Amino acid sequence: MSHIVTIQTEVRDAEALGLACRRLDLGEPVHESVPLFSGEATGYCVRLPDWRYPVVFDVDQGQVRYDNFEGRWGEPGQLNRLLQFYGVEKCRLEARRKGHSVLENQLSDGSIKLTIQLGEGHANN
Amino acid sequence: MQTIEIIISTDGQSRIETRGFTGSRCKDASRFLETALGKVSSEKLTAEYHQTVQHQPNHLTQEN
Repeated sequence: MSHIVTIQTEVRDAEALGLACRRLDLGEPVHESVPLFSGEATGYCVRLPDWRYPVVFDVDQGQVRYDNFEGRWGEPGQLNRLLQFYGVEKCRLEARRKGHSVLENQLSDGSIKLTIQLGEGHANN
Repeated sequence: MQTIEIIISTDGQSRIETRGFTGSRCKDASRFLETALGKVSSEKLTAEYHQTVQHQPNHLTQEN
């Protein structure tokens, strides 16, 4: 390998967010203003199973707002899973735009591995 | 073969590894994913990164 980069995901693509929601059988994200416990938030809203308040993604700022009272009003693993699938769909979209093929594998620890094979002349894309 | 491998963990954090590149070309190849996914929290260069293409010098021989 040549270099290894670790990245903290920021949700900035509404299309990839929608694809992730579809894969998880969540409703389509709707851009709206909604009340949270700590006030109102505006952005793409996703209603996670058994969460009291929606999760609100501000894709312009890459910020996410929610009130789950340290897990008592919503299981954090649900949001993490959505972020994981957002990352998968975002990578697939970007790779496809560059004309690269993508192979997806589920790993035993729950992680998802994507392998992108670069074609000839990739540096010019 | 040149590939980019991305492992996305259950908490949404991504780890990108490039394979089959020498020198800094790997960074150019994977930059589109790094900028698309979010904020880089750490980066590690591997031995392959420091390899450069070795060019053989041209030898001119003079024939008398």
